[in-house]
Amino acid sequence: MNTTIILPAEMCYLRLATVTAWTAAEIFSNSLNAENGIHDFCHAFKLAVCETFSNSVRHAVHSKEEKNVTIRFSSSNDRLTALVSDSNLPFDPVITLPDIEKYPEGGFGLFLIRQLMDEVVFTRENGMNLVAMTKKLTVEHKQGN
Amino acid sequence: MIIRENTRDSVSTITLAGTLDALSAPELQSFSENSALSPNVVLDLSDVDFLDSSGLRVIRGMALKKRESGGDVILACMNDDVRKVFNNTQLVRLFHIYDDLDAAVTYAETNKKSI
Amino acid sequence: MKTLIVIREKDCQWARAFFPDMHPFLLTICNKPYVEFLVDFSLLSGIRQIRLLSDGPLGEVEEYCENGSRWGAEISYASIQSGDDMQTVLAKNKRFCAEERCMIINGMVFINYGKQADYNAFIAAFPSGEILSCSCGSLMLTGNPSGTRNISPPYPFTLSCFDSPGLYYRLSSDILNDAVSPYVLPGYNNEPLCHIGRNVVIGKSAEIIKPVILGDNVQILGGAVVGPGAIIGSNVIIDRNSSVIHSVVIDHTYIGEQLEVEKKIVSGNMLIEPESGVSLAIEDPHLLTGIRKSGASLSFIQYAVQALAALFILVLLLIPFLFLFPVLKLRGKWMQHNEDCYADISGKILNLSVTAIERGGLFGSIAIFLSLDRFFQLFRVLAGQIAIIGSTPLRVSPENREHLKRMPGYRPGVFSYAEAEAWPVDHDDKAIIERFYTAHSALFQDILMTVKAFVNRIHEKSTP
Repeated sequence: MNTTIILPAEMCYLRLATVTAWTAAEIFSNSLNAENGIHDFCHAFKLAVCETFSNSVRHAVHSKEEKNVTIRFSSSNDRLTALVSDSNLPFDPVITLPDIEKYPEGGFGLFLIRQLMDEVVFTRENGMNLVAMTKKLTVEHKQGN
Repeated sequence: MIIRENTRDSVSTITLAGTLDALSAPELQSFSENSALSPNVVLDLSDVDFLDSSGLRVIRGMALKKRESGGDVILACMNDDVRKVFNNTQLVRLFHIYDDLDAAVTYAETNKKSI
Repeated sequence: MKTLIVIREKDCQWARAFFPDMHPFLLTICNKPYVEFLVDFSLLSGIRQIRLLSDGPLGEVEEYCENGSRWGAEISYASIQSGDDMQTVLAKNKRFCAEERCMIINGMVFINYGKQADYNAFIAAFPSGEILSCSCGSLMLTGNPSGTRNISPPYPFTLSCFDSPGLYYRLSSDILNDAVSPYVLPGYNNEPLCHIGRNVVIGKSAEIIKPVILGDNVQILGGAVVGPGAIIGSNVIIDRNSSVIHSVVIDHTYIGEQLEVEKKIVSGNMLIEPESGVSLAIEDPHLLTGIRKSGASLSFIQYAVQALAALFILVLLLIPFLFLFPVLKLRGKWMQHNEDCYADISGKILNLSVTAIERGGLFGSIAIFLSLDRFFQLFRVLAGQIAIIGSTPLRVSPENREHLKRMPGYRPGVFSYAEAEAWPVDHDDKAIIERFYTAHSALFQDILMTVKAFVNRIHEKSTP
């Protein structure tokens, strides 16, 4: 699979991004003939893309020009990668679990992504923030295989 | 996101339906800020099919605020996807979680008396 | 009917202390996770719907048991608060328990049952209330029995406490020594008192004496004696001339050379005396001499050889790098970020650049084929900061800090021994094979392993 969707960096496009993520994960699962764990796999991608997309939108509001968020889905063997990129100012990902009982809010999003995905890479390139999230779909083979 | 509120046995129950994500979380936020709710609030999540960290943040914010004044937010009937988000962020430790709405309301009722 | 299994953090604190790498629900008794015994009992009682409850995290348990379909059960999960009494617990699960009778297994208890038995009728006819109890918990029923039958003790099963390493040890050896085991145990079993897992390698001069249970991916090297009375978990290496007798070795453990383990439980690097519960960390010289000497500080010669090897690979990769790096970078397929990793066992921190090359495409494939993603790290070898081959660098985090404590020979490397062996995949498995090689690391073997890692990475990435 190698598919790209470009969406305006506005919150009202969030659901389009998440539906795309779910569907992409589903198409990928079907191509592997997976039987188990499809729902969890699709949900993980939906949630991860939801978090990254809304993050990009939140950081885009301060800018005057119109911005886009690009999401590319690519697969290799049993791994699916979602690459989310935006042209916002650089940000520094802090991935620790915030104190669940104290006030300063936030931090759950990035923490969730780390929990859901097998591999997460944050990087900045040519003025773009890139988040590459990869997850492996374990396809159980029938016994004796 | 559909948000409905009713009061039963002097306990406010907020019934949510749909997707609680960054797009709809502000709705719940302003709803909770602008409604007169009982100290103990039951959040009925049976029809919430998707929850992200923004939704989580609002629910947590509501609970922490209620606790400042001796109340609480009690969660009822979450599906597996929603439960996993609570689990992954360890926020389960913060909440009383019921799998039945009536039981949650009963708890909210009795808990209120002990305050 | 339904089954509620309620085990609180306070019930299983002891298990967390002695077996820190395993969730207490998944603590293996004769290589079978504890929770599976409870599931089996529930199924024998004719109950398929099971809910696991805890006030602690259940993520690992859920990952392992999933929805229970593999046992023909339906397993769900829920959280409770540590202060909840049984009434609150039942209220929180009212919908699950509603209208049907419910069997409640409360606390960390062990139910002694038989695999041939059928408790269906017994459970169905038993009146509501407590069936059995002990100081760590109880077995209860709610709801009204079907029919009226007088039931008097002795019951067809018994309940025992499960709250210390001593009880754990006795339970394990009782099950192991029972020629007609009442439980279904994992592994291949065509003669009594002997269960053997998959992918077990036994050295020529090694001796295996019944009764014995071996898990999956077990390596027993030459001259080792295993048994009688040995329970060896999965992903365990027992090194040359060591003996394991009347002992339990938990998953992911490396037993060093010439060690005698008798009447002990070995969990990670902890050696536990079952009856007294005294444990000592096995870092003493006779076990980890190898690790001591090759760990942390490298001698000058070692450094020189490592640096030369790194230089060699750098020169080898320079031309492809100069060509592929700009191409991949331009296409956005070369992603790089910095990560804080532990530099050594003391917890010193090292900032490493981590590269991810997107798979797919001709150039990407070639780059991965050549391990170009490790290119920048090779310079760190020249600077003497990391080794050319060693452990997978551990990212800085509270959990990894804990892992580090149990990895006496940790030394981050560009390539890891685990990659060289192309064997295990998950974190714990990596740790064990890396521990084996750090114990055995020798100069030229290191170079050989580097070549192996290089080749194996190619293999790993080019096959589905």
